Amino acid sequence: MADTAVGGQGRRVLFGPGTVLKTVVLAILVALIVLPLLRTVLFTLQPDTIHAWSDVLSGRLSTNLFYKPLGNTLLIGVVVSTGCILLGGFLAWLVVMTNVPFRKTIGVMATLPFMIPSFAAALAWSALFRNDRVGGQVGWVQGMGIGIPDWLAWGIVPTLIVLTLHYFSLAFTIIAAALATVNSDLVEAAQIAGAKGRRILMGIVLPVTLPALVAAGSLCFAGAVSNFATPALLGLPVRMQTLSTRLFGMIEVGQVGRGYVIGILLVLISAAFLWVGNRLVSGRRSYATITGKGGRAKRFDLRGARWPLFALAMVVLVAATVVPVIVLVASSLAPSSANLFSGWTLHYWIGQSDPGFAQGIPGIAYNADIVRALTITLGLGAAVAFSGMFVGLLASYTTARYREGWMSAAIMQVGFLPLLVPGIAFGAAYIAYLGAPIGPLPALYGTFALLVIAATAYLLPFSVQTGRAVIQQVGGELEESARMTGAGFARRLSAITIPLAIRGLTAGGILIFVKIVRDLSLVVLLFTPTMPVLSVVAYRYASEGFAQFANAITVVILFISIAASLLASGLQSKSQPWLQN
Amino acid sequence: MARLTAKRLGAIGILLSTAALADGHIDDMTAQELLPRAQEEGSVVVYSFTSRIGRVETAFEEAYPDIDLQGFDISSTEQIARLKAEAQAGVTNADVIYISDTPVVLTELLETGIIAPYVPPRVTDRVPEEYRSPLLAQRLSTKVLMYNEESNPDGAPIDNLWALTTDDWRGRVVMVDPLQRGDYLDLMTEIVLRSDEMSTAYEAQFGHAIDLDGATSAGERFIIDLFDNDLILVGSTDDVNVAVGAMGQDNPPVGFTSYSDRRDNADEGWALQVANDVIPAPGIIFPAVLALASEPQNPAAARLVIDFLMGDETQTGGPGLAPFYVAGDYVTRTDIPPHPDAVPLDDFTAWRIAPTETAKIRADIGDLVLTLQ
Repeated sequence: MADTAVGGQGRRVLFGPGTVLKTVVLAILVALIVLPLLRTVLFTLQPDTIHAWSDVLSGRLSTNLFYKPLGNTLLIGVVVSTGCILLGGFLAWLVVMTNVPFRKTIGVMATLPFMIPSFAAALAWSALFRNDRVGGQVGWVQGMGIGIPDWLAWGIVPTLIVLTLHYFSLAFTIIAAALATVNSDLVEAAQIAGAKGRRILMGIVLPVTLPALVAAGSLCFAGAVSNFATPALLGLPVRMQTLSTRLFGMIEVGQVGRGYVIGILLVLISAAFLWVGNRLVSGRRSYATITGKGGRAKRFDLRGARWPLFALAMVVLVAATVVPVIVLVASSLAPSSANLFSGWTLHYWIGQSDPGFAQGIPGIAYNADIVRALTITLGLGAAVAFSGMFVGLLASYTTARYREGWMSAAIMQVGFLPLLVPGIAFGAAYIAYLGAPIGPLPALYGTFALLVIAATAYLLPFSVQTGRAVIQQVGGELEESARMTGAGFARRLSAITIPLAIRGLTAGGILIFVKIVRDLSLVVLLFTPTMPVLSVVAYRYASEGFAQFANAITVVILFISIAASLLASGLQSKSQPWLQN
Repeated sequence: MARLTAKRLGAIGILLSTAALADGHIDDMTAQELLPRAQEEGSVVVYSFTSRIGRVETAFEEAYPDIDLQGFDISSTEQIARLKAEAQAGVTNADVIYISDTPVVLTELLETGIIAPYVPPRVTDRVPEEYRSPLLAQRLSTKVLMYNEESNPDGAPIDNLWALTTDDWRGRVVMVDPLQRGDYLDLMTEIVLRSDEMSTAYEAQFGHAIDLDGATSAGERFIIDLFDNDLILVGSTDDVNVAVGAMGQDNPPVGFTSYSDRRDNADEGWALQVANDVIPAPGIIFPAVLALASEPQNPAAARLVIDFLMGDETQTGGPGLAPFYVAGDYVTRTDIPPHPDAVPLDDFTAWRIAPTETAKIRADIGDLVLTLQ
């Protein structure tokens, strides 16, 4: 039955290969992504909001409203994505291809920073490096008597460091997945031919993983330019603005038109950058590296550099994971943020309501709102991981197998779009899109469905991108042979593509689950009191000055993310025994 | 989903039946008359701009065990965005709206019919007219200049707002970004509306008449100079409180924040105190208002909550008012004595904002602030 469902030969003749599939996928993506954004654009073109364009682009406000934030945004995007590729690529190379000591530990630690919400990392930075510019308590370092200059405490430098330490693990995940699938035939052939490690790296590994490098760079760029929490927390005291903080500020004070215009411009600018990246990749035609044969190559012997490189990796990883976690945990226990390591209490975790303490808010284990938010958040993460990977697999399969034609190009471009849209703008667009009834369809405002649909659309680039990197590496010949023996589309997908691509798909699923569980920017507007999610509850506590509750919830988020990742990596190793050696 | 729909249908049923029963008289009912209906409704949702709603929730459910109050702490700016979106979607989540930012609330929520006024008949004659209409103000809140009284035991280190623009205070004035929090934009707006007073204060500070130097008013000149003086912007009032109030500082900054945050001095290790003698004024004082959703799902319980939040007949208003009966918050009920630890309202020199006047130029002031950042 499945064999004839989609791949009917009659339709092939009529539409050409893959046309039906491409049309379906494109229609889904348009409904999920293009229509909400179109609503946003149309909004800014209404008679009473159209002047927002001139305010932003040419009026007396434009320097501060747009051009200065633009400069900061681009600087952040370029520096952070470069730093992430170098750092993530270096660690991925160490873990996957060398005999560095404790490489599994490095591998696990390198995926952790991405699970720490970036606002938590920014808070941890200021707990350590905060100087007396803002008065109040100073950070731990200044407390030790070491003066911290403004440039290290606030503004662009800490923003760049925190964001790089946050996003490099995204680059690591993608590059490591690609490196892990580099065909050993190629490497062994080179080794037999006498090529040295460096030559193999530059001549084989780099070119084969180029799509992954570009993908990683693109994702880090897009993530960095649309990140809100870090520049907001670290930039505001020196009045550093990026396009995303500007956009947030505009929507916050009700100047929605200007906010949307800035959002649209941010989309266009990032789109231009990603288009260039895409051109670089699409010049190459085949990335098939998992084929029907081949195995794992021997690891590079680092010899004397083993321990120095290990130490280097650990310095970065400890700074990006252990330190923020310690600060988070400590501040979920310390009643006064001024004394992080003394007077610890478990009240914020398991205390009963006490009117004289923290305005009577009980510990998070006894707080019905938080327990409810936890349930909803887990459900949302699972639902979005599933729906996201389903749509992502369809899209990446389609574009990998039927590369030709404008529809495939359109699917790729549309799939990319949400990356360029700051979460808060995407949330706003979705409220405009599905918040009101459309014809017979009811308004979805405040429903679980709205959260799932918006989050699926918002995170699609991640599912498409990780799916694509892997699917392109699944050799077309396997599928060709299956097709020749009469297997239909669904059969080929379930029997060949999915099993072979499961590592990448699971990685994508985890990324999505983790991203949505700790996402703040998208849900902060979609959130309704009847449909609470953990990150927003944490953010509310933080903004109300209850940092301990916020940090306790953040620790819960962290725990969920890590548990999910460990579970997933367990599944992966079972499904791909050939990767063990 | 099915449960939700059933719940909604139930809610609609109750709404219809109570509407029929009420026949327009529900606004005149006493708390005792409202109670059976409210118990039938069983729950009520409150959007509140202050976290103190948590304590109200506990107190309310103690007083009315059959009614589940669901309180949500949502900033005023966000409530406005949320209520507008909900109205557009045809959804009413909140029954009671407890909010500041009145300049925006009046134009964007009240005039558009998203929220409706309600004054419990029990307290009508004990709340001055100006605080009953167009919306009921429960209390007055503040954004005023505060200093660290531990480091300045002899009183405020400044006596004139213009001192904040001098070299002594370069990089030592803290406030929340007015483009992120509406009440700070209201403060900036009020300074411009009070340009005459600002002009007089300028002469008192510098000994000569103000030179506007391109600014359109003395208030604008002040804002420009303040930002030029390396004003420090932070993200929330608590950041201001810590910066200004934290104990053990040699040379603490001053900052604009809520007078009532002084209540947390002991818990947080702060030494916040208001600079009430600053001329022309230390800042603004503005109403925190209570309103109903225009079509609340729990109309009787919603009114009961507002009645509860206005305080009972005991000396200081009982458990409903207790979270707000603190130094620095001014309850509007005339029969409740002022809090003994605060500057009495009559001696409090902060400007009372006029929401409609503020609304007129608020966006322009926002633009001005934008050009200065």
